[in-house]
Amino acid sequence: MQTNGHISERQLMVLTFLYTIGTTVLIVPSGLAATARQDAWLGALAGIFFGGAILGLYVALWRVFPGLTLVGICEAALGRWLGGGVALLFVFGSFVGAATVLYYVGNFFNIHFIPHTPISFINALFAVVVVMGVRMGLESISRTAELMLPWFLILFVVLLATLTPEVKPHNLQPVLESGIGPVLWAGFSFAGTAYLPVVFLFSVLPRVRNPKKARKWFVSGAIIGGVCVFLVTLLCILILGPDITSRSMFPSYSLVKKINIGNFLQRIEAFMAGLWFVTTYIKTTFYFYGWVAGFSEILRLRRYQAVTLPFGLLLVVFSVIVYPDVAYMQNWDSTVFLPYILTIGFFIPLLLLGIGLLRRAGSKGSP
Amino acid sequence: MIRIIGILLVGAACAFIEIPALRGRKKELWVFSLLLAFGVASGIASALHVPLPNPLDWIAAVFRPFARGAGR
Repeated sequence: MQTNGHISERQLMVLTFLYTIGTTVLIVPSGLAATARQDAWLGALAGIFFGGAILGLYVALWRVFPGLTLVGICEAALGRWLGGGVALLFVFGSFVGAATVLYYVGNFFNIHFIPHTPISFINALFAVVVVMGVRMGLESISRTAELMLPWFLILFVVLLATLTPEVKPHNLQPVLESGIGPVLWAGFSFAGTAYLPVVFLFSVLPRVRNPKKARKWFVSGAIIGGVCVFLVTLLCILILGPDITSRSMFPSYSLVKKINIGNFLQRIEAFMAGLWFVTTYIKTTFYFYGWVAGFSEILRLRRYQAVTLPFGLLLVVFSVIVYPDVAYMQNWDSTVFLPYILTIGFFIPLLLLGIGLLRRAGSKGSP
Repeated sequence: MIRIIGILLVGAACAFIEIPALRGRKKELWVFSLLLAFGVASGIASALHVPLPNPLDWIAAVFRPFARGAGR
């Protein structure tokens, strides 16, 4: 396969962290608040616990098939043809992921910053940067992620520090008003949005220099990312309340509009949008990387760069097609997305893990 | 018209950037050309408002029966 450098375990942690936050932080508080009302923050906590289980599954899969991408795992477990078919499913999944995330980016910018620009142009601009990054290779992207991390952390700390004075604790009450059920459902949708897409990072895992050490960093990066989303959800509920949170499309953006220190430090939301610049860039890039690298691995291409430009074109075209309008988007995300991502991010990896374990037991039994 | 010309120009730019690097690699060149043709064609189709198939509709067709209902 193509060689495009290796990444260190710390870089893996940084990109897992940013990838987990991704678009999740923009959209998930709204869905959580719609399901669990003022208990949305508990839902996010439950989601982090489910996420721990999901990450355990991925680490186990990584241990059974070390040094293989998702495509390689499928082919090793199921054979060239059946495995290739399943791998194609994952390639399709990362294509859909890249296109939908790019739609989110375009929609966000279109609504909040540049309402008169056609959305396809916003998407094309963003996609140019994504394609450029992926063409330069994994090493460049992970170093970029590392460089972006301090900016992200500064903005995140500013967000927490400036919003804490606005907190209204009574918004959390009554706790567990309608029982534990909605909290668990909210947890599922949190884990589905934040953690199940981590399956597409399997295209990166074989490139990690020291896999034994890296597992710990991988899991902790994802968990810390989840905690950041949890904190934002908590602030949304505490400041905006469950009603406004569930009704707005980008609740965390409505949240930073509330920043107001002594009527002097205010309207800094455009700066704060830098948070989502960084995380959505990383998320789009790794979906795109998974798509491009997976596709060229199935076809046994020597350089995946050969398909980046045409796929970039397709990415922009389909980013305006996948969601015809916002109503379609919200309906699809709240109904179809969860069973779909559960299948592709949980059941299929579980099946692959089972086959891998059986094979290993079989080869040990008959030396 | 201007949109179609724009998309064709983008396609030409992609070919101009990538083809020199692919010289002598037949398989990559074929895959690249086919995908580029497909990309340009779908770009023109979407610029002319030809309804293209939406992959999310396919996913919905498979997974809608397992969904929890839009009402929540």
